[in-house]
Parts: sequence; structure tokens; C-alpha cells
Amino acid sequence: MRKFISFLTMMTTASLLAQNGKATTTKTTFSRETSVSIRIDADAAILWTLLTQASDYPRWNSTILSLEGEIAEGEKITLKSTLDSSRTFTLKVKELLPEERMVWGDGKGTRTYTLSPNADGSTTFHMHEKIGGLMFPLYAKYIPPFDENFEQFAADLKKEAELINRTK
Amino acid sequence: MKDTLEQEFQRFRGQLRSYLLRMTASTEDTEDLLQDTYLRALEKIGTFKEESTLKTWVFAIASNLARDLLRSKKRWPENVTDICKEAALNNQAFFQEAMQIRHTSPQGEFEIREHIAFCFTCVSKSLPLEQHLVLLLKEVYDFKIKEIAQITAQTEAMIKYYLHTARSKMNEVFDHRCSLINQKGICHQCTELNGIFNPKQNAQEELAKIEMIKAAKRGEKTRLLDLRLEVLKGIDPFESGAAELQLHHLEHNRKVMEKYLEKE
Repeated sequence: MRKFISFLTMMTTASLLAQNGKATTTKTTFSRETSVSIRIDADAAILWTLLTQASDYPRWNSTILSLEGEIAEGEKITLKSTLDSSRTFTLKVKELLPEERMVWGDGKGTRTYTLSPNADGSTTFHMHEKIGGLMFPLYAKYIPPFDENFEQFAADLKKEAELINRTK
Repeated sequence: MKDTLEQEFQRFRGQLRSYLLRMTASTEDTEDLLQDTYLRALEKIGTFKEESTLKTWVFAIASNLARDLLRSKKRWPENVTDICKEAALNNQAFFQEAMQIRHTSPQGEFEIREHIAFCFTCVSKSLPLEQHLVLLLKEVYDFKIKEIAQITAQTEAMIKYYLHTARSKMNEVFDHRCSLINQKGICHQCTELNGIFNPKQNAQEELAKIEMIKAAKRGEKTRLLDLRLEVLKGIDPFESGAAELQLHHLEHNRKVMEKYLEKE
């Protein structure tokens, strides 16, 4: 029983730590994955609204310089990020499940956004990106780390969504 | 039910009319939409299921008609007052007509407070249509988020989002432009026009009566938009003592903007 309680405590702590807005990265020879999770005091509908209004991103999200196009399943969007302001990425919206999950990507990587409602009315936002492929070892060194950018994205989303959520 | 509609409609007709004017910036479109709203409401009253108040239901009809009219039209730019000022300075007839109204009409007063409301009507047309509509319904006509969601057939989350973004943009535009709240503001039209239409009045004394300007001097930036919206709430653009003068000015600006946007 004590072992079980200790296991539960460990799992709860891990789950809380995972929502602290700190990014983590894991690497293998052929891929790199970065994730961030954060608990946001706002309804998933508000987060979803922010995440799907392409042209409004630069107003609230300091990691995005521009995002053009319509965020709808199957549509192409063009992104300029502070990660590399000299490049424009053309991404396809691969999956869109309102207020739950959204996936963007190109041939080299896939970014997944997940929203999970909590019992207290808050929402856990999770963002994960996997880049890789057979050629990955050749260009891996040219791709900057995502951790700081992911943490800022999550913090900006939390700040803006909580402000909107407080609207009476 | 038709009798109830008629009674209720008369009760909020003034609010609806001013809402439509602030959406369209056109007296002609306002009168047409007002009439169409009433006729549509009469026609559809059998479908009213009392899931909202009758006022909310009628505002939903009016908002849909206004959207249909405005959807295909371009939004005005943030510097609308600069563009229109330039046009007015090259249009002697505009000032002659305005002076005539000023001296002969019982609704020809010039008040800075009225001009603040007029200015908001012009500048808020730079907001995307949905944001404009939501901002007016919430902050000027006192509808609740839930009621606006019913009026616009959008989710409450979307309404909160539109409201937040509309307020952010209006704060930013007025902070940049309005010299009443920011000494570095680039627009001085209120005081300039006060000098033309009220040459004997001390503009500073008039300004000192306006709460928004007092708050700006105290550095209370976060309250300024609310106080500006309070000014709007307190004015019926068709019934006030300055109505004819301001409506004449609004009509001028609408015509100027239509021409300007055609060329864009």
C-alpha cells in the first residue's frame, strides 16, 4: 500500500511538473522532440479561439512574427517565427479537432497542440514538435533549440487567455 | 404578441437607432435598417421562443441586417479623421452648411463631449465588423456576454475574444492619436472645431468637465476607454443638442470615406 501511495505521489508530482511551462527536449539520431505543458485558467474555447485566429498571433504571441492563411483542416499557412526571422515556413494544417487538438506540419516536422480540460475549469495546454527523418543528422546542427521559444509561446498564451477569460 | 412587440419596440427604438447609426455611420442606412428590422420582427414574431428577451431578439435581427449590409463594404482606416479633415478643408460648402446649422438649428450646438462620441463612431469603424458590433453591444448598449452570444450566434468565448481584441485596438489607436488623453497625440480636431464653432468658449474649461480627460491627467490609462464609452452612452446622436451638426459632419465623413475606399 505504501509503495502504491508513493507511486501515486510520484505520478501526481510528475504531472504537476509537466504543467509548469518548462520545455523538455529529447534527441535521437534521426529526430528531436520538444514539448511544453502549462495550466491555464481559461476555458478551452478561449484557447482554441486564440490558437485558430492566424493573423492575430503576432498581437499576443511574441514568438511569432507573422502567420498568414486560414487555420482550417487541409489549408496551407505561412509562418515567420523569431526562431529564424529570415525564413518563411509553409505548413499544412493536418488535423483540427475543435477545442481538443490541432496538428500543423511539413515534410520535416509536425507540431501538435492539445487542450485538456481540468476539473477546476482550467485547461492544460500541451505543445509538442517532432522534427526528423532519415536526412535529419545532416541538418540537425542548423536547427536552433526550441525550448526557450516553446516556453515563451506557452507563457504568452497563458497571459492572453487568462486576460480574456476575466472579461465580464 | 404583435402588440407586445410594438410596445417593446417603441421602448428601445432610440437605442436601436443609435446602435445602427454607430454601426453604419449613415443616417439613410440607419432609417432603412430600422424599418426593415421592425418589419422582419413583425413577420417572424411567431418564431420568437422567449429564449432571450424580446429586445435581444430584435437586436439580433437588426445586427444580422447590418452585417448583411456592411459585410461587402471595406472597413475604414484608423486615420479616418485625418483623411476627412483634409477633404473638409478643401470643401468650403461643408463649413458654410455647418455654420448655417450652428446658427439656426436647435440641434446645432458644438460640444466637445459630442465630438468625442462622433469621433469614436468614425474610428471604431476601423475595427473588424464582428469586433465593432460586439464592442458596441457590450460597452455602449449594456448587453451581457451571453446575450451578445445569442444576438451574434457566436460562442461566449468568441465574444470575450472579440471584446478583448476590440478594446486593445481602440486603446492603442486613441492612445496614439487622441491629444485629449495623450499630449503627444496627433489629432486635435475636438479643440480645433471648438475654436471654429465656439470661438468665445474656453476649450480648457470645457475639457475640464470631461471625466476621461481628468483621468488622463491623473495617469489612469486603463480607465480611459471605459470613460470614453461612458461619453457615448450618455449621448443619443439623433436627439442631443448637437445632433444636427454632428450628423451633418458624419454624413460628410461617410461620403469622403466611400470615395477614398473606392480608390483603394
